[in-house]
Amino acid sequence: MLPIAVDAMGGDNAPSEIVAGARLAADEGTPVLLVGRSDEMGDTGDLPVIEASEVIAMDAEAGSSVRRMKDSSLVRAAEAVRDGAASAMVSAGNTGATMASALLRMGRISGVSRPAIATLLPAPGTTPTVLLDAGANSECNPEWLVQFGQMGAVFARDRLGIAEPRVALLSIGEEAGKGNPLVKEAYKALDEAEFRQGSFIGNVEGRDLLTDAADVVVTDGFTGNVALKALEGSMKTLIGALLTSMTARPEAAEAADVLAPELDALYRQFHPDTYGGAMLLGVRGVCIISHGSTGATAMKNAIGIAAEMAEAGVVDHLAAAVAGTG
Amino acid sequence: MVVYAADGDKEPQVPAETHVEGTPMGRDEVFGIIRERLADILEIEPSAISEGASFADDLNADSLALIELVEALEEELGERSVGFRFDDDDLDDLRSVRDAIDYVVSRLG
Repeated sequence: MLPIAVDAMGGDNAPSEIVAGARLAADEGTPVLLVGRSDEMGDTGDLPVIEASEVIAMDAEAGSSVRRMKDSSLVRAAEAVRDGAASAMVSAGNTGATMASALLRMGRISGVSRPAIATLLPAPGTTPTVLLDAGANSECNPEWLVQFGQMGAVFARDRLGIAEPRVALLSIGEEAGKGNPLVKEAYKALDEAEFRQGSFIGNVEGRDLLTDAADVVVTDGFTGNVALKALEGSMKTLIGALLTSMTARPEAAEAADVLAPELDALYRQFHPDTYGGAMLLGVRGVCIISHGSTGATAMKNAIGIAAEMAEAGVVDHLAAAVAGTG
Repeated sequence: MVVYAADGDKEPQVPAETHVEGTPMGRDEVFGIIRERLADILEIEPSAISEGASFADDLNADSLALIELVEALEEELGERSVGFRFDDDDLDDLRSVRDAIDYVVSRLG
């Protein structure tokens, strides 16, 4: 397959951790190419490099920075996918600029009103829950949420192997009439919509996100991002408190040693590094958006997911789902 | 400018680097192009886009949609007028479809 284009300059730990993750992925057999300033990357091994002289800062305004910095690593990575030099792109850089690069260079899948960010939430004992939109579109209309559901179902099938995904709408109550005006209208639209994979099962609430209540949960980008950050912060706080209490007394530490294997497995299930990143659904190419603090392991995993999605043909499946022919 | 071939042939030769422009675009034609591109970007019917429509308030077009529009127009209008480009510093002033039409018409001269 074509290599995965990795934005070597994006993220808090770039380029060293990004290059390290890329090399790990390459060692496992995934073809990778790095994009950025080669003189800053250090030892890249045998990995090919596309030179890009500019770097979009983490706090830069998304659209204007993509327009002004045409030789940035993000823009060049997206162009590599557009031009057939790469099968996917991965970046831990500025999320908005990553989206803008993908949208402006790869283009939107025909029929998609708005691309959405799909992220995985851990659900102990079962497959993760797909949450979208996790932050691409602050304000949405009901028709966009329907498309998010259709695309999310495709992603759940291709990424998680769920043959008939259960698609739900995030609301403040399970009943059909609950929610703000957008949610009420979206409920009706989702209920009438055609899903080639899966079906709409109704509303779920925030407390259901980490359970088996649904496979795909649809919401607007503002709510989705708030929910995601609240969950990330809660898990981090809880895990920190748990670790502190487990080492508070010698007896607790002894018990913790016994529980360590199970706790370690649970910890990895909840750790963002395991999932590598979120996927931007709705553009004409695979685009994985990793967390800004991504290290080598998370980057390796993100690259693996990008390769998996490219090989699965997820973009073609998304196009078919939105066109109603998937 | 008419160039004659060195062998005395009086047939006018068009210099290789000359961009031959068509007739100047009228305001209506510019509006038509903008409406078509914008409809494509926003996934709405062209008839839903009036000249007086505000990008943000009437069409729900965010800054990214505006940049998509600008880049699409540069690509299309660049074929008619070499080097046609929106100045990045002017983008904040484009608040409505009319602003975009006025800008393009003034740039195309």
